[in-house]
Amino acid sequence: MKRAVLFGIIAVLIVTSVTFAGAAPRRGGTLRVGLNADPPNMDPHQSTAAVDRQVFQNLFDKLVDLNQDLEIVPMLATSWTISDGGRTYTFRLRPNVVFHDGTAFNAEAVKYNFERMLDRSFGSNRFGEVNLVTGVTVVDDLTVRIALEKAYSPFLAVLSDRAGMMVSPTAARRLGRDFAREPVGAGPYKFVEKRPQERIVLERFDRHWDRTAGNVERIIYRPFTDENARLANLRADELDIIDQLPARDVPAVRTDAKTRLLERSGLGWQGMWINVTAAPLNNKALRQALNAAIDRRTIARVVFGETVTPGNGPFPPGMFTHNIPANSRLPERNLDLARQKLREGGQPNGFALTLKVTPGREPQQVAQVIQSMVTEVGIRVNIEIVEFGTLLAQHDAGRFEASLLGWSGRPDPDANIYGFFVTGGALNNSKYSNSRVDTLLDAARILTTAEQRRRAYTEIMTILNDDLPYLFLYWPKEYKTLGPKLQGFVHVPDGMMRLRHVWLNP
Amino acid sequence: MSRFLARRLLLTLPVLFFVSLIVFSLISLIPGDPARVFLGEEVTTEALEVLRKQLGLDRPVHIRYLYWLGRVVRGDLGKSVRDGRPVLDTLLQKLPTTMELAVTSLIVAWAIAIPGGLLAAWKRRSAWDYAATTVSLAGISIPNFWLGIMLIYLLAVNQRLLPPSGYVEPWVDLGRNLRLMVMPSIVLGSALAALVMRLLRSSLIEVLGTDYVRTAHAKGLNDRVVVVKHAMKNAMIPVVTIMGLQLSGLLGGAVITETIFAIPGFGRLAVDSILTRDYPMVQGVVLFAALAVVLTNLFVDMVYAFLDPRIRLEERPA
Repeated sequence: MKRAVLFGIIAVLIVTSVTFAGAAPRRGGTLRVGLNADPPNMDPHQSTAAVDRQVFQNLFDKLVDLNQDLEIVPMLATSWTISDGGRTYTFRLRPNVVFHDGTAFNAEAVKYNFERMLDRSFGSNRFGEVNLVTGVTVVDDLTVRIALEKAYSPFLAVLSDRAGMMVSPTAARRLGRDFAREPVGAGPYKFVEKRPQERIVLERFDRHWDRTAGNVERIIYRPFTDENARLANLRADELDIIDQLPARDVPAVRTDAKTRLLERSGLGWQGMWINVTAAPLNNKALRQALNAAIDRRTIARVVFGETVTPGNGPFPPGMFTHNIPANSRLPERNLDLARQKLREGGQPNGFALTLKVTPGREPQQVAQVIQSMVTEVGIRVNIEIVEFGTLLAQHDAGRFEASLLGWSGRPDPDANIYGFFVTGGALNNSKYSNSRVDTLLDAARILTTAEQRRRAYTEIMTILNDDLPYLFLYWPKEYKTLGPKLQGFVHVPDGMMRLRHVWLNP
Repeated sequence: MSRFLARRLLLTLPVLFFVSLIVFSLISLIPGDPARVFLGEEVTTEALEVLRKQLGLDRPVHIRYLYWLGRVVRGDLGKSVRDGRPVLDTLLQKLPTTMELAVTSLIVAWAIAIPGGLLAAWKRRSAWDYAATTVSLAGISIPNFWLGIMLIYLLAVNQRLLPPSGYVEPWVDLGRNLRLMVMPSIVLGSALAALVMRLLRSSLIEVLGTDYVRTAHAKGLNDRVVVVKHAMKNAMIPVVTIMGLQLSGLLGGAVITETIFAIPGFGRLAVDSILTRDYPMVQGVVLFAALAVVLTNLFVDMVYAFLDPRIRLEERPA
């Protein structure tokens, strides 16, 4: 009896130790990441390219971060209070945190970081994100108070991205604008080297505050602008994870035994900009006619298969504003309505339209599908392929009628709508101006509860669905493809590869 | 010889000046505000203003050119708009990579083309000739990008014989470096071989019909000695011109191959810089490419003199 019990205990011990050994993260190894472009700038306060952010996730710790449900979670700030009608944020900071160069992280460091972003002579590209900050006060070593000019609900979401990434004041003071060449953060990985268009190498930082972070010893980022080469490298076991997969490869990768495909709703939206100040679409009825002749479900199915969700608003699934009916309801194609609107607009036989697209298969295919759909009511679309930089210039000068361009998306709804539809917004390509919309957009930033903000966005979307400065068409899904060795990867809808807790099986 | 060299090197300066002037004018004509393109999604009016000032875009284009020229003569090619690194540093870093790709591709090309062209001419209208013609046609016809992806899938993904793409410096890991060069060299080399082979074939056929070759045969010299030792040298003269052009072309980078095989060479650098309106970098790459063409031509001219002593590089005093 005693022996049976003893054997039983030993068996349980063996089983549990084996199970835990399989599940326990292994330390060591080199993680190889395939990016879709070469990150140009390693200074979060100067960076403009989206791909830079991939490297930043592991090099720089931020005040707060996002979890899989897009909720704000602590990182360098362990707690915070919002007071004074949303105008004051008081952060408690994590103790015993050091930057890679040994500088202590504290309230002074936070203050320095904000001053750097707000310094006009430095010219930080984060200025526009934090320009509501009127003052940063060091309350004590681990408490910092940030005062805003007015309430700004997206503020914490902003701090979960580059504006919240803390750089070492010592290094930043010493290097100035050259900080990008020798970046120093407080993340679980420190910078080793960057060879342009070749690789970026990070190495585990042994004094990071999170003892469970940094399982992998090194991370190597390699840019592959050609998507076929990127996938081929993953399949050949030269990479452990890649970003962005073309729609046509998704079915094959899904069934490939050597790779694992992770899929989530993304944060971005895609569709058609309309210049509301130029003929023919300065006529609202004609815009509505165009919209009524388009079948979003067909576009999504024909061009993308299952890799996008057809949509009609700036808030993809996963955002708390998604299920506003004015955002999530998909209009059905209605040719009778289209013809009626054409008559209202004084063009009963249709009209001609030039649609500009960037080079690339998918935009051109979307344009072709639209072209064939709207021709049924007499709208004759001429597709023009324009290089991206040139297209931006044409947008700025208002020299376009319609173009297919979207937005990569941010976690807070404000960043997905504000700059695009506010009068004079830097991203307002359609030159749309509606004072009611302006008021509501500003209000949605000041209102503090989710319910209040949803009401504001509901009214905005109702107006936009009628005015149609932009035709939202679909929401791209977020894909990551993993090789067999990578474990513990958490897929967050913002598309950022957070690698601090992953590990590699041999 | 040394006077010849000195004069030719001196002549490179006006060439480079004109090339830089033309390129500077052309890229400033490209639509699109560089600051706007650079900021992309992150644009705000304040950021635009600051960046335009930093890039000197508030100055007229001819002033910008003079500023740039002034720095260039002091060896300063400026800083990249994209990442702030000195342009010269980036170019020097990528120069060995580009040179290596160029050299290995040409080795592959000429290793196919020269024996192939020689055999095709020597054994005219035989099976060798037809085989060489077919191979060269295939080389020209098959698109780089298709061949590249096919090779990656066949040799690297399906059979793990070679690494699929990337680059590592030869002094870091020579074995891997050479294995990484195999497929890109085949892709580039196969296209280049075709032209050289065709040219060598027709050039050699012509030389083999000349008097001195017939004399050599009449003297009883071995056929192989006649062709290889006597005829080839003269046949190679027009071919060497083409080979020189191929070398200088490759030193400007091979965009498609570099993109598919993730090789950080000048080709990708040039294209990326144009798309991001990184003016200083575009200027720098073009200057390097122009210099490469000029120096390669110089080298080719010196090779001529070796091949055919009748070609004098300088006038002999009467």
